Amino acid sequence: MMTGLAIGLVLGVTVWWVLIQRLKDKPWERQGVIEGSQDGLTSSAPKVGLWVFMAMVASLFLIFNGAYLMRMGFGHGELVGWVPLDEPGILWLNTFVLVAASGAMQTATGAARKGDLGALRTWFTAGGVLSVVFLAGQLLAWQQLAATGRYGVSDPAYSFFILLTAIHGLHLVGGLVVLGRTAAQVWRGLDTENVVAVGTIRQTVRLCTTYWHFLLLVWLGLFTQLSIT
Amino acid sequence: MAYVAIADRDHHLHDPDTFITKYIWSQDHKVIAIQYGVVAIGVGLIALALSLLMRLQIGFPDLFSFMTPYNYYQYVTTHGMIMVIYLLTALFLGGFGNYLIPLMCGARDMVFPYMNMLSFWVYLLSVIVLIASFFVPGGATGAGWTLYPPQAILDGTPGSDWGIVLMLVSLAIFIVAFTMGGLNYVTTVLQARCRGMTLMRMPLSVWGIFVATILGLLAFPALFVAAIMMTLDRMIGTSFFMPALLALGETTDTTGGSPILFQHLFWFFGHPEVYIVALPAFGIVSDLLSTHARKNIFGYRMMVWAIVAIGALSFVVWAHHMYVSGMNPYFGFFFATTTLIIAVPTAIKVYNWVLTLWRGDIHLNLPMLWATGFIFTFIHGGLTGLFLGNVTVDLPLSDTYFVIGHFHMVMGVSPVMVLFGAIYHWFPKITGRMPNDVLGKIHFWMTFLGTYAIYLPMHYLGILGMPRRYYDYGQTDFIPDSALGVNQGITIAAIVVATAQLIFLFNVALSLWKGKRADSNPWRATTLEWQTPDTPPKHGNWGPKLPEVHRWAYDYSVPGDEADFIPQNHPIKPGEESLRVAGASRK
Repeated sequence: MMTGLAIGLVLGVTVWWVLIQRLKDKPWERQGVIEGSQDGLTSSAPKVGLWVFMAMVASLFLIFNGAYLMRMGFGHGELVGWVPLDEPGILWLNTFVLVAASGAMQTATGAARKGDLGALRTWFTAGGVLSVVFLAGQLLAWQQLAATGRYGVSDPAYSFFILLTAIHGLHLVGGLVVLGRTAAQVWRGLDTENVVAVGTIRQTVRLCTTYWHFLLLVWLGLFTQLSIT
Repeated sequence: MAYVAIADRDHHLHDPDTFITKYIWSQDHKVIAIQYGVVAIGVGLIALALSLLMRLQIGFPDLFSFMTPYNYYQYVTTHGMIMVIYLLTALFLGGFGNYLIPLMCGARDMVFPYMNMLSFWVYLLSVIVLIASFFVPGGATGAGWTLYPPQAILDGTPGSDWGIVLMLVSLAIFIVAFTMGGLNYVTTVLQARCRGMTLMRMPLSVWGIFVATILGLLAFPALFVAAIMMTLDRMIGTSFFMPALLALGETTDTTGGSPILFQHLFWFFGHPEVYIVALPAFGIVSDLLSTHARKNIFGYRMMVWAIVAIGALSFVVWAHHMYVSGMNPYFGFFFATTTLIIAVPTAIKVYNWVLTLWRGDIHLNLPMLWATGFIFTFIHGGLTGLFLGNVTVDLPLSDTYFVIGHFHMVMGVSPVMVLFGAIYHWFPKITGRMPNDVLGKIHFWMTFLGTYAIYLPMHYLGILGMPRRYYDYGQTDFIPDSALGVNQGITIAAIVVATAQLIFLFNVALSLWKGKRADSNPWRATTLEWQTPDTPPKHGNWGPKLPEVHRWAYDYSVPGDEADFIPQNHPIKPGEESLRVAGASRK
């Protein structure tokens, strides 16, 4: 544990050092407008906003992960009550569906870049439908676990399983709200002459895709952890 | 996609046209900032009143019949939670963050104005839920602001039926609100700065708020996780934190939960939280000192690096709040070391503030008084932190009044000093009126001296071994009678300081009503918010054209220039470059 903390500290100092390499300017010496610097609000703001949000969500899941490990007894050998959960097999199917959803979203991004409205409609909607199927599959997994009757509410592995899948699912639902609104716009039809409107749709599709890949990554991490413990 | 700068697009976003869109459902960052400020100060006054009730009980036991131990613990808990989260965090980031970031970066507004508006209303909801917990069966929670399980959710603790649930739900709602605001602050700083505003030309206020927001976005999830898991423990009987217990003669259904896990989660949030409050204060006070000493900030680059370093280090010191929790002693050694390391960048900042004042043209006006007051209170609070950061010294002092004295000085009084300095400093820009100087000075001296009268004796009480969080001390051998006298003195000082805050409110009302009209740059400051075409700035801030930045934020008393300040948006004059070099070599 101490080694881990020491490595963390060294890592932190390194990151800090790399960061301040970018902050080496002596602003009292450099005068005038510096070319190539920021110039008013740019269109990449939503992208940056999404990345900041994903950093926060990553922090949320990492902290959950830490809590999970501690509750299992890492560093606290005296804790009792952790019985590994027998995860239902349907989770493998769900994982496959979520991978497919991510793939569909990626294809939709490609279609949006090429300006292929038909393909965009199909694949974007497919991504949404597959995500809903994933969520339904997760609910089924809950039901299967509950039906075994083996797990009580005070069973930590069981309650962590439900809690983590629920939190992950809620983040996907949040994404689906954005996806739904955008899909509705795409289906209503686009004025292809309107550069701004087309650009906005293209960007939203791309950002949705990034978010879906991120949630897939989170799920793969979660699934691995849930399976091996 | 074709590059279309949003500032150049012909349609303008969210132009307010009715009273409601202008002042209530407003998406203008300045209005949202004021909304945040008013609610935060309002709820802070409630917390202040609660602290007076607590102090009256400690100083003059049995004065009020309604002060039962039950109520006392509810007041302690709500006071702490409001002050740290619903007042300080909300006012620094939601209030000043919202007001200053777009204006100081030269933007028209935050990048996601609609989400910014939601942020305020969700924050208001969290405050309403928190206050509502006083009116549910069993009342507000009395678990102490740290809400440690298992006692927080067991029968016998005040508010263990509904109070604790509402507290946890309110915290979760607050975190949602903070997230929506925080995404805006970070993205606006990164993406909406005007032409010429490089990161290293940003005023330190923006740097402090920026890094504090990043800390918040990474640390608040820990509190969120803890709040969700404890709510589940309380509501449906999971055992994340709840061990097998024998409570009131009955065994609970829970098994194997880890109370210390909650402490880790709470403090993994709790310590960065100290810096979420402190970093904006550090940034703002740097700007106040520089402006009112008419001198550039000493060591700007080092100040920025120190903010970043403190932010990074704040994530590896949390367990210094847990030395007495029975954790592995090697842990204590590690966390004591990191705690002492974080003192280094902090000390750099203190030295730089003092060196900024050194041989400056100090104008002891209202903002400057508070800013210099902050240096005093922060040094005192910081030095006692060195005591508590060391395991062997902390053990006997833990849970005594020494700790109360320390953290009130360092993260209660000090940030509040900056807040008042900031309010007096930006009052002319926000309202278009000057604050009343005499009333402000009375307010300052009563508060500054009064807080010393409150918190210095507490250190002494702590060394005597007087435990904190006690409702009544009864007959104890190790607490002499004189301690009661000290406690009475502290209570009287607290009443005086609270009265001084009424003077502040009166000052705000009076100045709004018939204060002297302020011109656009009354302090003759360099930063962009003072260069707006209108005071108070209109919607969109800058009129038809965004400003253009030609220099850093601290061109005060530039050698060879007749004015003692050059605003950031003033172009370089012919020959200025050589004058600077000459000035530098003269020094």
